[in-house]
Amino acid sequence: MSEFMRLDAKAPATLGAVVEAVTRLSTLSEAKILELVSAGKIEELFPYKPASGQPIPADTVAEDELAEASARPLSRKQRDALIESSLPAAANKKSRAFSKG
Amino acid sequence: MRCGSRRFVRSAPSKIDRQRLVDLRVTDMTAGDALWWDARLGPKHAPIAARADRFWSWSVLLPLCHVVQRAKRRYCRPLVIWARTDNGRFLRVGMSILIEDYPYLDVAHPGDSHFIWFMSAADAGVLTSEFGLSQPPALGRVLLDNGIVLSQNAGFEGRVGLHAAAAGGDALLEVYARCGLLRLPPQAELPPPLRRPNDGRYFYADEAVAEALAAALDARR
Repeated sequence: MSEFMRLDAKAPATLGAVVEAVTRLSTLSEAKILELVSAGKIEELFPYKPASGQPIPADTVAEDELAEASARPLSRKQRDALIESSLPAAANKKSRAFSKG
Repeated sequence: MRCGSRRFVRSAPSKIDRQRLVDLRVTDMTAGDALWWDARLGPKHAPIAARADRFWSWSVLLPLCHVVQRAKRRYCRPLVIWARTDNGRFLRVGMSILIEDYPYLDVAHPGDSHFIWFMSAADAGVLTSEFGLSQPPALGRVLLDNGIVLSQNAGFEGRVGLHAAAAGGDALLEVYARCGLLRLPPQAELPPPLRRPNDGRYFYADEAVAEALAAALDARR
């Protein structure tokens, strides 16, 4: 789980607030979430963003720098790694704490 | 009869010159990819009113989709499509988030499928003017094919579903129909877990459509 920041403040969000928002979102259909995101209204239900601080990657990379994705189903371990990589590097290295929002 | 598993597509026709193929590669999406897209392409896409993804923040979507689907005991598979630029290096040109093992939309044939939740192709004009890609690839079929191939390789025979965002209007419906997907009739019921009225914007590929669409791209894998 990432360290999320509130959108309307510099302060981190509380673990409880993020869990509550995720739980609320998980009651909605995928189509409903897509509509909210596309209408720019996801902030009403999830007013957080991952903690930043990571530099923006270069625009381009050499072919040998690309690790091509497997088209086969992933193992449990690969899936866990994929979820972990969805979080900013700084948050990855820290404990999975949420701070006050 | 096809033997073995399919790979992802590795080239696509240019949108400028359909006779030219552009090299593609597919990688798993990381936080850095999402950050790059939001920082470098997001501001260019935001003013384009016709884009259904103009408000999407991939940095938020990527972890959020993972945790929301884990809460439903499903997994997401977020992918990035890269294209070879004029200088030979690769640039991010497409993004997608699929849900694995999702209820198949055609309730007359109960089963599992993959659901293509979010997908974006970078604006061709922006790629050309800002990123040195004089031959931007046509990605619609490639984005769908990634889902079909993953579904086939997972044992779901290529069955996929998606919902066309209302923000994409009628034009987005036409895109998916043109790509060869089947449109779920507006009066059709949805699988019970979806808990939503059918708004007529759902599309899917059954086994036959999926195989035909995938086979059409086999020469480019």
